[in-house]
Amino acid sequence: MLALLLRRRARSLGNTLRRFTRYEWTRNLAFFCAGLGLLYGLHHGFYRLLSYLTAIELIGVLLMWKLTAMMLLMTLSMVTVSSLLTSLTTLYYSHDLCFLMKAPVSLRTVFLDKSLESAFFASWMIGLILAPYVLAVQRVAHLGWSFFAAFVAVLPPFLLLAASFGIGFTLLLLYLFPSSRTRDVVWVFSSLSLSVMYGLVRFAQPERLIRPDALKVVAEYLGFLQAPTAAYLPSWWLARGLQAAARGRWGAYARDAAILWGAALAVYAVLVALAGATYFAGYSGAQEGTLKKRVHSYSRLRVPPLLWKEWVTFLRDVKNWSQMLLIGGLVFVYLFSIRRLPLDSPDLRSLIAFLNVGTAGFVIAALGLRFTFPSVSLEGKAWWILRCAPLDVSQVMRQKFAFSAVPTLAVTLVLGLMTNQILDADHFTACLSLGALLSVALVVCAMGIGFGALFPRFSVENIHQIESSLGGFVYMAASLFYIMLTLAILAWPMQMHFSQRFGRAAWDWRVAAFAVAAWLALNGVALALPWTLGRKSLENHE
Amino acid sequence: MIEIEGLVKRFGSYTAVAGLDLRVESGEIFGFLGPNGAGKTTTVKLITGLLKPTAGRVRVAGFDVALQTLQAKRAMGLVPDEPFVYPKLTGTEYLRFVGELYGVPLADMRKRVPELLEMFEFGSWGAELVESYSHGMRQKLVLAGILLHDPEVLVLDEPMVGLDPKSARLVKDIFLKLAGRGRTIFMCTHILGIAEKLCDRIAIMIEGKMAACGTLEELQVQAKKGGLDLEEIFLSLTGGGEYAALLRYL
Repeated sequence: MLALLLRRRARSLGNTLRRFTRYEWTRNLAFFCAGLGLLYGLHHGFYRLLSYLTAIELIGVLLMWKLTAMMLLMTLSMVTVSSLLTSLTTLYYSHDLCFLMKAPVSLRTVFLDKSLESAFFASWMIGLILAPYVLAVQRVAHLGWSFFAAFVAVLPPFLLLAASFGIGFTLLLLYLFPSSRTRDVVWVFSSLSLSVMYGLVRFAQPERLIRPDALKVVAEYLGFLQAPTAAYLPSWWLARGLQAAARGRWGAYARDAAILWGAALAVYAVLVALAGATYFAGYSGAQEGTLKKRVHSYSRLRVPPLLWKEWVTFLRDVKNWSQMLLIGGLVFVYLFSIRRLPLDSPDLRSLIAFLNVGTAGFVIAALGLRFTFPSVSLEGKAWWILRCAPLDVSQVMRQKFAFSAVPTLAVTLVLGLMTNQILDADHFTACLSLGALLSVALVVCAMGIGFGALFPRFSVENIHQIESSLGGFVYMAASLFYIMLTLAILAWPMQMHFSQRFGRAAWDWRVAAFAVAAWLALNGVALALPWTLGRKSLENHE
Repeated sequence: MIEIEGLVKRFGSYTAVAGLDLRVESGEIFGFLGPNGAGKTTTVKLITGLLKPTAGRVRVAGFDVALQTLQAKRAMGLVPDEPFVYPKLTGTEYLRFVGELYGVPLADMRKRVPELLEMFEFGSWGAELVESYSHGMRQKLVLAGILLHDPEVLVLDEPMVGLDPKSARLVKDIFLKLAGRGRTIFMCTHILGIAEKLCDRIAIMIEGKMAACGTLEELQVQAKKGGLDLEEIFLSLTGGGEYAALLRYL
């Protein structure tokens, strides 16, 4: 029966591929190439880092394997947290569950089908990122392809084990607390775990490992480097197995591979056995809504009705709260990183304050991808309400823009003002970078609404499908291109400012005027083009 | 009043609506029938401005839907085939939102929203999130939203689906009362009994074209099936012989 269920996925995939138009083939091929490029970039970065580490006398190789063990530990925790969220939606809220639960299929088979789907979606991307790292280890340590083959052979049980922890936790949690409220708690809990994990990794200041002045300290901890990293977790078994494969000790490798495969199968078998008794209780409870009366006062609305609706629905969705926790963590870590930068001269600090337009701009664009870009698509099946109402598309877009712009500007102000304060940037640089960041925030926000309207997806199951769509890719690429051009244009006045500081040359007001005109023109185009295209597309959307 | 002239809608090479001409008068309840895929929902979407026609024109309450879009939309209310409503709003808040969108004065909303919730027997459910509503409750909520802004034209796509018998009876009485007040009602339905009892005129659409249109008596003449009920007329127009042949598979 499981084979039949898995076959339906293969059939669906086959049908999708067969129905691809030439445009879709080209588009997906472009995505595939972009993905390969990204992986190559990662590989190159890892290779340079590992080359640097292994060049350090005495402890170089130890450092490389320590880093490998840490990478695997991080992968394990990320897949586990990710599978918490994925298993919640796939095991308990998938659209096809209603059909599967009614069908004469055993509960364990449905669980197997859905948990394998959860494990796959929770781990494939994180697992894929390990590949360029392991290839970098292979290159740096001059190992043959047998090393990579050894890695590929033990990666599936490692990822399955990591995902099983999350799936098992969700299974038990929903069994013990069978309520849709549990879903909300898991969302917040998972996001909090991610924030804490991200914060802990950052506050550990891993960059100190590769700074020459910290190497003495590292040398003192040679023993620490040789010690296992979380010896009882599968990440260490994999790290130990890979180390054995690198040294050609295939017997030791086979033992670790057997442990990984054995543990994965055993844990999964326990899960499947548990599912027979627990899965249905959780599934049934998850369907039950929670009732909580909300009294509505008929006071006059202080904002337009659509803005009011956006505000109310946004705050009531627990997923948004968990995302806000993540953003809080991200902003905190960003500012911490700025604070830890080894900058001694005031000139260098001012330069970094200017370059902050680029990095903070990237953060704003990433936030836009999560909150602003999907806002049109998130109307979903309720889009008919606005489409039938006496509102034109521009009004809808303006109100969505207003809703996104306020928090975006708030985050931008925190990033801009705090960074300038931490770096003690000079007055001119502080004003220029803050002004540029505020304009970037507004334009990127308008681009998010414009591209969101240009590529609306009203029939998706979750927000990740909107973010990872072609429209999301185009929005992100266009935003980054715009931020890059902003930096390039504003580099002229910054260059003149630094020249004046160093007493080399005075201001050329013609160049300054040209820079201002170019900056205004860039913002005008970036504001108007996606907005107009989006409005027209949404007006004609069928 | 709804006026449709030469309405055509094509999706690529597929023609969903092929040259529809129709006029529905004020105070009339008009039934729009047809087998699945006949083009009924597409026609509803064209009337309400959710789709752009390939050719032809639609006027609602005297306003051209393509040229005077906002006026036409203000004069119209839609109950779609899938009554999807914002899950994170309460029933009361949804009605408030609709009232604000259509410019219903606040004083009217204070009075009308509780009345409508009571009429559709929401009780304390009006203060609960829509995500906890059943399909029928959502259907009633969307209907209440329409009644709140009291449009001249009501376009209803399967309005009775999911309603319990008492609510269905209430909704039928509401439609009759609204028609009596001069409102135009355009209703797609598969429930032939309701169409037969409720509608002044009925159109049967097949493969994007109108196969028959008129009162029950006129349909009997058009189908050359005197004395038959609407179900028999419908089956004869949409392929009753084939239907009989299909039964052999049972």
